[in-house]
Amino acid sequence: MNDAELVVQILNGNNNAFRFLVSKHERLVLHVVGRVVQRQEDVEDICQEVFIKVFRKLKRFKGESRLSTWIAAIAYNTSISHIRKKIRQNEHSYDEHPILIAAEEDDALNQKIVEKEEAKKYLLEMIERLPVNYRTVLTLFHLEEFSYKEIEQITGMPEGTIKSYLSRARKLLKEKLELVAKTEKTNIFVDYVEG
Amino acid sequence: MDCEKLLDEALITGPGYTLSDNFADSLALKVGRKFAWEQYFKEFLIYLGVILGISIVSVAMAFIWYDANWQEWFNFIISNLPLVTGINFILIFILFTDRVLLRYFFYKSSMGTIN
Repeated sequence: MNDAELVVQILNGNNNAFRFLVSKHERLVLHVVGRVVQRQEDVEDICQEVFIKVFRKLKRFKGESRLSTWIAAIAYNTSISHIRKKIRQNEHSYDEHPILIAAEEDDALNQKIVEKEEAKKYLLEMIERLPVNYRTVLTLFHLEEFSYKEIEQITGMPEGTIKSYLSRARKLLKEKLELVAKTEKTNIFVDYVEG
Repeated sequence: MDCEKLLDEALITGPGYTLSDNFADSLALKVGRKFAWEQYFKEFLIYLGVILGISIVSVAMAFIWYDANWQEWFNFIISNLPLVTGINFILIFILFTDRVLLRYFFYKSSMGTIN
C-alpha cells in the first residue's frame, strides 16, 4: 500500500490503516522526538501527541512530499514546542550553540572508556550532548537517511545551514574523540584515532 | 577500524529511547474512539441544526401566513418557562443519547469484542 492509498484508507475511518501507519513510522518519530527531547519519561506522550496531530492534519496532506517527511516535520515541531514550553517552565534547558564538554565531565567519562565497545557508547553520549539543531540534523541525515531537501522541509532550516551543521557536528565529534584518545594513551580506544 | 568508521557507526545508532510494545495498538484504539466520538457528535449537531431550522421556519410560517399572535406565544413561554425548558432539554438529551452516547458505547463494546 503506497502513501496515498494509506491516507485515503485512514480518512475513510479505517482503524487498521492508522495502526499500520503508526507501526511503520513509530521508529522515525521516536528517533526525532528522542533526540530533541532527551527525556524517556516524556518521549511516549510526545510520540502519542505527534500521531494524534498526524491523524487530525491528514486531510491537509497533499502528497507534495513523502509521508515520512511530513510526519517527521510534525514530530520535529511538536518536540521543539515541548522543549520551549519546558524552558518557559524552567524545567529543562538546551543550548542553540555548539559547546565542548567541560573538562571535569571529560575526566569522569574518560574513566569509563576502558573497553572497545565503550568508544561507541562515548560517541553516542557526545551526540546527545550536542546542541538540539545538530542532533536533529545528524539524526535525520544519518539515521533516517533523509536528503538535504527533505531535512529542509522538516526543520525549515536552509540547505546551507544543514550542511554546515552536519560538517561541524562531525568535526566536533571527531575532535572530541581525538582529544580523549590523546589523554588516554594506554587505552585501546587510541586505535580508532590512529588507525 | 578508524575514527571515521567508528563515527559512522555511532551516527547510525538510534538513541536509546523506547516506546511500549503495544504503542501502535493502544494509540490506534484511542484515536479510533476519538474519531468515532467526533463523528457522532458532528452528526448530532447537524440533526440539532436541522430540527432548529425546521422549527424556526414553522414559527415564521405561523406568524406570516396564519397571523399567530406573538404576544400570546411569548406570554405562554414565560409563564411555562420551566416546563418549556424541561421539555426542550429532555428532547435534546434523547437526541444526544440516540445519536452520540448509544452509538459510542456500541462502538466501544464492538472494539472490545474485536480486540
